[in-house]
Amino acid sequence: MAVWLGFGVLAGATVAGALGTVTSRNVVHAALFLLVTLIAVAGLFLMLFAEFLALVQVLLYGGAIVLVLLFALMLTRIRGTAASLDNPQRPLAIVAALATVGLLLGVVLSTQWPVQQPGGGPVGFPQWGASLFRQWAIPFELASVVLLVALIGAVVISRPGGEE
Amino acid sequence: MEWAWIAAAAPLAAFPLVALRGKWLPGRGAYISIAAIGLSFVLFWLVGADFLRRQADHFSITWFNSGGTRLALGMIIDPLSVYMLGIVSVVALGVQVYSLKYMEHEPRFSWYFAVQSLFAASMLGLVLSDNFLLLYVTWELVGLCSYLLIGFWFEKRSAAEAAKKAFVTTRIGDVGLLIGILVLFKATGSFDIGTVIQAAESGQISSGTLTVAALLLFAGAMGKSAQFPLHVWLPDAMEGPTPVSALIHAATMVVAGVYLVARAFPIFEAAPGALEVVGWLGLLTALLTATMALVMTNLKQVLAYSTISHLGFMMLALGSIGFTGGMYHLMTHAFAKALLFLGAGSIAHGTGLTDIKDMGGLWRKMPLTSTLFILGALSLAGVPPLGGFFSKDEVLAAVYHNQGPVVLGLTLVLALLSALYMARLVFVVFFGPDRSRESGVHAHESPWQMVVPLVALAYLAVTSGAAAFYLPGTGEGLGQFLFWEEGEAFHPLWWLIIASMVIVAAGFVIAWGIYQRGWRVARALEPVARLARRKYYMDDLYQWTIDRVVLVFAGMVALFDRTVVNDGGVNGSGGIVARVGKRLRYHETGRVYNYGLVMAGAIVVLGLMVTLLR
Amino acid sequence: MIPVSAYLAVSALLFSIGMYGVLARRNAVLILMSIELMLNAVNINLVAFSRYLAPGEFTGLVFAVFVITVAAAEVGLALAIIIRLYRNRATVNVDEIDLLKW
Repeated sequence: MAVWLGFGVLAGATVAGALGTVTSRNVVHAALFLLVTLIAVAGLFLMLFAEFLALVQVLLYGGAIVLVLLFALMLTRIRGTAASLDNPQRPLAIVAALATVGLLLGVVLSTQWPVQQPGGGPVGFPQWGASLFRQWAIPFELASVVLLVALIGAVVISRPGGEE
Repeated sequence: MEWAWIAAAAPLAAFPLVALRGKWLPGRGAYISIAAIGLSFVLFWLVGADFLRRQADHFSITWFNSGGTRLALGMIIDPLSVYMLGIVSVVALGVQVYSLKYMEHEPRFSWYFAVQSLFAASMLGLVLSDNFLLLYVTWELVGLCSYLLIGFWFEKRSAAEAAKKAFVTTRIGDVGLLIGILVLFKATGSFDIGTVIQAAESGQISSGTLTVAALLLFAGAMGKSAQFPLHVWLPDAMEGPTPVSALIHAATMVVAGVYLVARAFPIFEAAPGALEVVGWLGLLTALLTATMALVMTNLKQVLAYSTISHLGFMMLALGSIGFTGGMYHLMTHAFAKALLFLGAGSIAHGTGLTDIKDMGGLWRKMPLTSTLFILGALSLAGVPPLGGFFSKDEVLAAVYHNQGPVVLGLTLVLALLSALYMARLVFVVFFGPDRSRESGVHAHESPWQMVVPLVALAYLAVTSGAAAFYLPGTGEGLGQFLFWEEGEAFHPLWWLIIASMVIVAAGFVIAWGIYQRGWRVARALEPVARLARRKYYMDDLYQWTIDRVVLVFAGMVALFDRTVVNDGGVNGSGGIVARVGKRLRYHETGRVYNYGLVMAGAIVVLGLMVTLLR
Repeated sequence: MIPVSAYLAVSALLFSIGMYGVLARRNAVLILMSIELMLNAVNINLVAFSRYLAPGEFTGLVFAVFVITVAAAEVGLALAIIIRLYRNRATVNVDEIDLLKW
């Protein structure tokens, strides 16, 4: 029962934060709502015994990404934005989102999943490390290259001056 | 003699060399060209000597195989090809040496010699080739070269028109030739002339097919040899430089048709009715154009019509199974006509005149040229003992043996006309009063480069009569040398010889009377003369056909093309796309969330399809 | 215990909300945030499936790590583009950036 309670709180926080993110009239508030969602998702990861992932989620998403987003918001702050955060096709977007959620929920709930219990116990950090650097070493290195390229690209693109 | 192919290959190699690098070569390329054709001439002697030691030869290499059919590059060494090799190479050599001086001041001198080389190469290839395919290729090359040379002065509109006319008219026949070759190929599965001939002789090909094929081959020969009604291009061909006319009229272009009929002679023999067509059409052509030659006043034009007339005569000989006569006349005519054309060129070179109405009394001003020219004219007229007399007699004998008295009578009339127009030229041009206003004053003899070929050709024209009895090296007459397998000696029919001599004499007397004494015969024949002068309205008929039929039809096609195809099909479909695009482009809003919405909707629809239709 | 479908339902809701944000927002930074929501929905899916259907294997978890990595790279690049755009056009509204329209 306590498990359900915890899950309900986390799921509610996730959804509520997400709704806040997409409906907020204030961009900084939206970023803070996003932070709520991200941390709640980290909680969900914990419930799934994925401690490392939860840690990464909090550090990377909650820390770095939200911070960068806030920087971006501050750098691009436009006067009198509040009224114009949504575009004219919002009603259609609502319809599309409702259709998607209906479709996904329909599929999820109507499917007979083979297992109803989470298997295995908490995953230790040594096992994580062994998996990442043995079985997944090459994708891991490639991911690091992607990050490097993105870093250089971001620097090149945002550098003042440039070709124009 | 397996090196015979060099006879054709040497001028062929000279062509690109002279055409591209002529400016830097000795004599602006002319010496290269002359050396090449000279090599061909030398090879003729070697091949001829070799041929007399051994017998007929046949070399062939595979060009490529296509679906079980072997296409070969090969050559036949037999009496006919050796004979033609000699005629072509000697006339081409003479013409090129002559051109050296005659064309001296032309800006496109090198190009002229390059095309002359190609012309000689294609004609030599034509007479050597052992299969119809190679023959057709060289045949078309001959046509191309004649186009280039007739239109050599293409800045002159009439020359360009004449070149076009020659090309298009001969093409009409060439299509027939190609179809004929393909018909024979379909019937026998081979392009090889020997194979086809064997099949035709052994009766493998049905007689209907054979007749059709023979007539189609003859259509090609009609185009090239200017037989009625495709003769209209040859008189216009004199728009080219005079040595070119000599080459075309004597040894290359026009004799290709006669050669084709001679080469395929067994096919014509085996095809019922084909030889009759050849003979009658030849006779008709010969008579028509002989009368035209009588009334034309341009010197070269007279010679041109005389060429057609003599070609018809050769066809008549072939049609009368006078193989030897036809080929013999081809040779004597080639030498005499080349001589006449080069002589006409000399006259034009010396006096600047081309119309015989302005000439007269040239005998006194250009004695050497005049003598040589008259020798050629007498040979063509059939005066004994010059070459033309013997070959004409051979033809007459063949006609007598194989045709009825009507044809023989008409042939004798033809002989009379032939003597008459040649006598007319002789009397009007060389004797009588000087009709030129002032240009005749500075008439002069031609330089030696032009005279030497004339002398050589005159020698050949005079002595070629002896070939009827004795051909050096063979110990027998031309008939025995040439005729397929079984020899045919020269067999004079004394009464026929006497009759033809009388006719020639009559021709000269009549011409003397009319053009020297001023007899009033011409007035009575004026309507006929006018008809002949209008070329029997053949040109007008062609013009009318083109104007009223071809152009009208072409106009209809053009209208259809402009309205239905262009406006409807091309512009119409394009216009529809453009209009639709003009409307549809507004769905490209440039706003990324519009596109995203469409994507989301599409994903939902696809997901629904996957879940519901599973 | 909590069935796997509960996690999937949360993921579905999160994904749809993110999609709504992408489709309805006009500020580029907010659209970017919505994309992050969608990526998180995917991560929840990956982890849930990994734990329920293939315990003891790391595939789903490792993929989640890669998704986070790529998301970080994406945010970095996207923000660089947005800043550049803002400097050139003085706007981050995506409906004013429509050079590709008809």
